[in-house]
Amino acid sequence: MRVDNTTLDKRYHDAVEHWRRHWMPDYDSLLENWDKYFPKDDEFCLCAKMELGTSDTVSIGEHTGEKKRLTPSELTEEEARHLLAIIRAQASTEFGSIQQHAGTLARAQDDEDRYWVLRVMAEELRHGYQMFHLLLSQDWSKASGGMKGEDMVEEVLSMGTGSHVLDAFNLDYDSFLDNICFAALIDRVGKYQLTMQKVCAYKPMADSMPPMLREEAFHLAAGVIPLRRWAKRAAQGDPFVSMQAIQKSFNKWFPRALEMFGDERGGDTNVKFGFKDMKNREAQDLYVEEVRRMVRDINLRFLRARFPERSIDAVEGILDRVERDGGRIDGVGPEDLLRLPDPRFFRRKGEPAWTMIGTEGETFTDADTYLRYLATQLADGYMASRDMKLYGDGLRKVASGEWSAQDATRRMPKLRRVGGTCPCSRSVRWVVDEPAAPSRPA
Amino acid sequence: MSVQAQAKLRPLDELDIGAIVKIDERITGIYKPEIWEQRVAYYLRRDPESSQVAEMDGHVVGFMLGDVRGGEFGIEETSGWIERFGIDPDYRGRDLGRQLYGAMLKTFRARGVSAVRTLVDESDAGVAGFLGALGFKPSPLRALVMPLAEPRESR
Repeated sequence: MRVDNTTLDKRYHDAVEHWRRHWMPDYDSLLENWDKYFPKDDEFCLCAKMELGTSDTVSIGEHTGEKKRLTPSELTEEEARHLLAIIRAQASTEFGSIQQHAGTLARAQDDEDRYWVLRVMAEELRHGYQMFHLLLSQDWSKASGGMKGEDMVEEVLSMGTGSHVLDAFNLDYDSFLDNICFAALIDRVGKYQLTMQKVCAYKPMADSMPPMLREEAFHLAAGVIPLRRWAKRAAQGDPFVSMQAIQKSFNKWFPRALEMFGDERGGDTNVKFGFKDMKNREAQDLYVEEVRRMVRDINLRFLRARFPERSIDAVEGILDRVERDGGRIDGVGPEDLLRLPDPRFFRRKGEPAWTMIGTEGETFTDADTYLRYLATQLADGYMASRDMKLYGDGLRKVASGEWSAQDATRRMPKLRRVGGTCPCSRSVRWVVDEPAAPSRPA
Repeated sequence: MSVQAQAKLRPLDELDIGAIVKIDERITGIYKPEIWEQRVAYYLRRDPESSQVAEMDGHVVGFMLGDVRGGEFGIEETSGWIERFGIDPDYRGRDLGRQLYGAMLKTFRARGVSAVRTLVDESDAGVAGFLGALGFKPSPLRALVMPLAEPRESR
């Protein structure tokens, strides 16, 4: 494993640093405390890391066996446009997650948890920087409709929570619980995307993946390990954390995580072009099973703390019985444990978009009844958010037949910054994208 | 008698903590989740590809944790370090330790490591014998220890 580190031209590097000063005010504190929380680890490097010695040959899709592409000009225009959208979305997620983490970082109950998340933020910054390297090191103008690399960078840096490409990055955190559940659920989707893109037919993209994946391994641990510890505390009666609160955060993020894979029926183009090695549903199914394992792991941690005198085999037996029968065993019932929501629950994109399905798969026919039900499944702070208000408005229109599901998905407003791209500019407004005009006459 | 059974080997991930805790508890009789949470976090943040787990029958039944580092104890060369390993007692005798070691060695080699190092308690004949069978030999570097008495409470 050999890695080449590169930095962006000074003006772009400085732009990222400028952005970082706004959204990561604790960055200096992270560097000062690095050896305390991450002894023996290499120092953090804000740079692009390219893996050396990776395959030169396309391994999937219609170009299998051909030499991997080294520049956008070697891709067809359609392939380049498609890949550019992936890179832009990836960059948006990296910077978007930092903005989300920043909102509630200081509310962490534990300093170690806080510094772990801070490290995650720094590494997400590096991942965004990595995507900028891909945008800036080659000419994408043919695929971007003439938009220059610097404009694309400025566009991404100007995005805020509400204007990012993917919905999961447009939700504010309600508490530090969201920092942790986000790392456990949303970063896990990131792991899948990066893993799928290791085969990418565009070599600079493929070479970017292994270093990002190595860092992502810790991001998942920064979610799961605090969750395990909180489950233990909840079992011991700690009033500051409960499994119900964790469940509500899961219910918020899990549906958005599933939507990050794209529509369940799609993904063929990614495979055809050799950009990813799995279609959307295939990857999403694996993800769901992995989250199921995580939920079981956290529940076992809870039960061992609840029944410290019992063996692991006995505790696994309790969990099996509660999961299978749904009743209470020795005072523990399903409501005391984490549950994986039905994958159709609270969806606004993909196959089950705008259907009204409960966490257990139950169906609803009335929008207001469903919204009242959601109020019992989601945190109060999130229910009071603008996102939920807009979702409720859209759901009522879909339920009444005024809008189709596709209309509702397209018409969800986005927050757009106006009057300058620097985060100092707080001038924003909610806008609805009009359907794009066809690029060519029919 | 050792029976070769092909396990699925893969790098460690954060969802393996519970299985590692369980294997360790079956070996030592002590439940120590906090220790393993810290150790797994350590390996995942430093070197997530080196540490390996073995799966059989859909469960993690063995693990071997370590990383690549240099510059310690006067050893400037980058070495692969094997620090913790364990095999579920029900799955012993199937050559899983050797398979885990082989997988770690592969990642160490890919990173240009020229030596693999570990420390062993000589009184633990099982572990010492296993490492010897893998080809480990005594090193001139000796592990030393000086126990410190508890400081007396001042009046």
